[in-house]
Amino acid sequence: MPSIFGSLAKIPELRKRIVFTILMLGIYRIGVFVTCPGVDRGIVQKLMGTGGGLFSLFNMFSGGALRQMSVFALGIMPYISASIILQLMAVVVPAIERLQKEGEMGRRKITQYTRYGTVLLSMIQGMGIAFYLESLRSNLGEPVVAEPGWGFRVMTIISLTAGTAFIMWLGEQITERGIGNGISLIITAGIVAAFPDAVFSTVTFVEKGIMKPFTLFIIVVVAVLVVAVIIFFERGQRRIPVQYARRVVGRKMYGGQSTHLPLKVNTSGVIPPIFASSILMFPATLANFIDKPWMQDFQQALNPGSWAYMTIYVVLIVFFCYFYTAVTFNPIDVADNMKKYGGYIPGIRPGKQTAVYIDKVLTRITFGGALYVSAVCVLPTLMIQQFNVPFYYGGTSLLIVVGVSLDTVSQIETHLITRHYDGLTGPKGPRLRGRSRR
Amino acid sequence: MRRKTGLWTRIADRVNRFRGKTVERDLGAYARELERIDALARELDLQAASDRGLVSRAAELRRRARSGQSPDTLLPETYALAREAAARSLDLRLFEVQMIAALALHRGRLVEMQTGEGKTLAAVLPACLNALSGRGVHVLTFNDYLASRDAAWMRPVYARLGLEVASISEGMDAAARRSAYRADVTYLTAKEAGYDFLRESIVRHPQDAILRPRHFAIVDEADSILIDSARVPMVIAGCDDVPGDAQRTRLARLAGSLRPGEHFETDENRRNVYLTEAGAEEAERLLGSGDLHAPQNLGLLTRLNQALHARVLLERDVDYIVRDGRVEQVDEFTGRVHRDRHWPDGLQRAVEAKEGLCLADQGRVLNSITTQHFMRLYPKLSGMTGTALPADREFAEFYDLHTAIIPPNRPCIREDRPDVLFADLETKHAAVEREVRAARARGQPVLIGTSSVQESERLARRLRAAGIDCAVLNAANDEAEAAIVSEAGAPGAVTVSTNMAGRGTDIRLGGSDERSRERVVESGGLYVIGTNRHESRRIDRQLRGRAGRQGDPGVSRFFISLADPLMQRFGIGELIAPRRASRIEPGRPIQDPAVHRNVARVQNIIEGQNMDIRRTLWSYSAYAEEKRRAQHEARSRVLAAGEPGLLAGSRPDLHAALLAELGAVALAERERQIGLHFLDLGWSSFLAHLADIRESAYLNVVGSRDPLQIYLEHAAAAFEDMQAYVETSVAESLEAARASGPELDPNELRGPASTWTYLINDNPFEWQLSIASPRQIGAGAWAAVLAALFWFVPVGYKLGSLLRRGWRKRKSE
Repeated sequence: MPSIFGSLAKIPELRKRIVFTILMLGIYRIGVFVTCPGVDRGIVQKLMGTGGGLFSLFNMFSGGALRQMSVFALGIMPYISASIILQLMAVVVPAIERLQKEGEMGRRKITQYTRYGTVLLSMIQGMGIAFYLESLRSNLGEPVVAEPGWGFRVMTIISLTAGTAFIMWLGEQITERGIGNGISLIITAGIVAAFPDAVFSTVTFVEKGIMKPFTLFIIVVVAVLVVAVIIFFERGQRRIPVQYARRVVGRKMYGGQSTHLPLKVNTSGVIPPIFASSILMFPATLANFIDKPWMQDFQQALNPGSWAYMTIYVVLIVFFCYFYTAVTFNPIDVADNMKKYGGYIPGIRPGKQTAVYIDKVLTRITFGGALYVSAVCVLPTLMIQQFNVPFYYGGTSLLIVVGVSLDTVSQIETHLITRHYDGLTGPKGPRLRGRSRR
Repeated sequence: MRRKTGLWTRIADRVNRFRGKTVERDLGAYARELERIDALARELDLQAASDRGLVSRAAELRRRARSGQSPDTLLPETYALAREAAARSLDLRLFEVQMIAALALHRGRLVEMQTGEGKTLAAVLPACLNALSGRGVHVLTFNDYLASRDAAWMRPVYARLGLEVASISEGMDAAARRSAYRADVTYLTAKEAGYDFLRESIVRHPQDAILRPRHFAIVDEADSILIDSARVPMVIAGCDDVPGDAQRTRLARLAGSLRPGEHFETDENRRNVYLTEAGAEEAERLLGSGDLHAPQNLGLLTRLNQALHARVLLERDVDYIVRDGRVEQVDEFTGRVHRDRHWPDGLQRAVEAKEGLCLADQGRVLNSITTQHFMRLYPKLSGMTGTALPADREFAEFYDLHTAIIPPNRPCIREDRPDVLFADLETKHAAVEREVRAARARGQPVLIGTSSVQESERLARRLRAAGIDCAVLNAANDEAEAAIVSEAGAPGAVTVSTNMAGRGTDIRLGGSDERSRERVVESGGLYVIGTNRHESRRIDRQLRGRAGRQGDPGVSRFFISLADPLMQRFGIGELIAPRRASRIEPGRPIQDPAVHRNVARVQNIIEGQNMDIRRTLWSYSAYAEEKRRAQHEARSRVLAAGEPGLLAGSRPDLHAALLAELGAVALAERERQIGLHFLDLGWSSFLAHLADIRESAYLNVVGSRDPLQIYLEHAAAAFEDMQAYVETSVAESLEAARASGPELDPNELRGPASTWTYLINDNPFEWQLSIASPRQIGAGAWAAVLAALFWFVPVGYKLGSLLRRGWRKRKSE
């Protein structure tokens, strides 16, 4: 699409922002290779190849930093946890709820609290990692940590907290002076960083004859298809037409867009599979700490890859899709809000009737969304088992990457639109530059 | 000021500028410039020069300016000359601080100068300097009266420099305006300037133009014009031959018969009202309309909603007054009455129907622009005000105006006494009455600032009933009120006014001629009493600033109550902890510092919210403004030269055929008329589309997308549609004209029969801006919580075991 790059070249501000973002992400990636002080990196690497389950989930979110045991090991997760906790507290504690409604001053205060919470959480998690590191030994009995003790623990806590604070700052810089949402981009960058490695190992497999070239072809096709499906469903919306009866409709000489309420097919996003896999991995994590025989048997039954695992996984995903949608999207609130501003669905009374209608529609489309998410999440297991694909493709990481990419692209679009240039896509679908209709 | 700015101030300024702050306190550079001007004045021996000598110097300066020399080069001599001219014409020699302000104004700053420091005179200097080149300078004043007063007052000074000055006021016709704009310096209100611009944007013939290209504007009372009123759109509408609406009268009566709580409800801020189910059913019964929410009843439902809004949320004498058979809005910030402010689309007519007045014509919006954007059309802008902080960031952000704080000529010795806080209105007014009585006994003049016409009337009635004579100002008649205000400093005078009445007129102690000055000074100077806090601390400061001018003694004090509309609107009741609330004794002032803090907090919150609204509206209007400029350019091209490109590009065959039939000149003329007609129609429709899109954009929060983005996407699509529409319509129209013969039907293409301008009060549906905040946390969020929890388990376990071991070890020792 030469036109985008042409446009990009012509808008200096956009160019500056994109360059800045890439720069910041670059700094982030470099920082991943800074090892935590007091830890022997070589031994860690030998060890980390065999981690499983929960560990790989964390590793994904830390962008591979956990494997390196770098200062960025905690990733941006403490920040996200802190903001979610604050959001939860806003529901419970009226003082915080009030802050939310107080405009700019209130928001700034909440951001401050979030930052404090991030530091606190980082310190706690840092302590956990310090303990964990101390207990690690390589296969040859070499300790990862040469000099354990409180000195090491304190140093680790400080390093990890500083690392997370730095990432937090990077994220905020990107949001302010770059493009897209900084935090999401950082997570995505971490996930995508594993990609070249995967490609490389796949190609090596083919070269060494472990994998047939035909299989490679299938893999590529499937990969593209899956991304297409994700984009299709993520953008998928059921649009409920809405009328407004507050202002007299001006005389318009030509037709226009109708106003509507967009209900996403996948309202809950990536949350359900993450919830589901976290729950499924809980036994495995426990098993690491509780050394009882029945624990091990239980863990074996739920081995990822077994049919039991995958079935329970799908059921949990569907359940959480509905659960999370129900928690975050309240049809009564939406209907009330519409009523307040004079909006209504033609033919349906505002208020309760509207809420019931919206709920009905949402329930139906969420089912489709849940099925799609399950399919995407089960895919990687299938691929690893049936096709010997040497990497983890699909599931939550792919959903995150595609979702964030879509968001970022539409933000770039906004910049393009506001500078005289036609957007890349619009409410009517992709458009070429210039007039293409009539 | 010759005392050097302190070292700390200079360092702080430098650091702040590096950090991107926008306020300038270090005026050293200006002081040095002033020294150069003084030196030049001595060198040229201006004080001894003859009048003729001054005039010829001025002529020389003008010549140099017109030949291309930059104003910066001419500055020292011009300022020195102007200062001398002012001394001779008005017998006023500019103070040092006024000169500094004049220098800052030329540099495009926003100057904060306290009341009574002589802003009007200070503005003359940069006006002269920038007018020398003959490109015209606009001085934007607060109201028409001040525009003509200041122009007349300063005319002698300008005359000595050979510059012509004119003023524009509301009723002037086009020819008078054209000649006023041709003057070197024009004094007018921002509103009139905006309206003239809008009128210009729909002219059909180039010779109807009255404006010259904009050059430089100095905005007086800049914070009021550029911040408080900034987001109000100025609108020019054309009448559409829609007959008066009898249905509205019926609906007004119906709305009056509905009962609150049962048939309708309002939201917490009392900005929106809506029907309940019972209410909808009742309305359907009374109207016999069937389902109100069926698609075909959209118009009826809309008018009913508007009638309801007019009945429930808009109060006579608070939000509007009825005068001369017309509804005139009362501005919420300033308490002024505006003849030409309308509520958007149809709500205005609903209010008129409610009051039983003759319904005005409903028009189609032809063009509009916000004050914010209009000001940015000036290549160079500067402003002055008594209160710039804490809005300095907004000035920098929206207008690129950095603030310069000018210290007063004589230090301010006004005493700002702490607020007195009451629980209810009655006690507050009683306290105010006592205070006024005490002041009267001392012979101290009192100025009481209220927040609404209603409150000022109420208070005045009470005072008069108590035997205290007072004058009431509500900005109904600027000229008369200016006279009253100038006497407000007379001993024992009591003046009750809404916030902005009488602005721009100094209150001198002892009456306008200062005859009893001694007596008033002894009694403590002017006493300013505020009856409640305003939506911004800035406005509070404006009120206080009326006292204590030029080093005069003065006192200011605010009497507030928890029952004030502002406090109530923002829920102060919830903020106060119950145990403190119970300790409040009715009838006595509240001493609890925590409650005082709550009051201050409410004001803070409101300021922040208003800033939010302004910023969001800015993002939404920025796109429309870009399109307006593009449209304006296209239109100007068509207006000027009947651009052939309009047709030749899209329908070359038709173009060729018409060219053969009509000849180039006639074709160009026809293209011009038809082009303008459809351009205007298309633009008008586009504005209507934008309003619709804006209304519903917030719904996209539900789809977790940024409403602004959706708005922009749809707006871009609508603009494209509009362009296509214009092209097609022009082609079709020319085609049809060809078929029907060479003469164009004049009726088809005329512009609107009459046009009028007004400001839109965009407030009534306090919009969805506050909830339009897309969720920032996306994927993986909750996972992190679980992950964190999962870390706690092992960490806790491990810590626990460590502690246990340590404890056991201790025990065993």
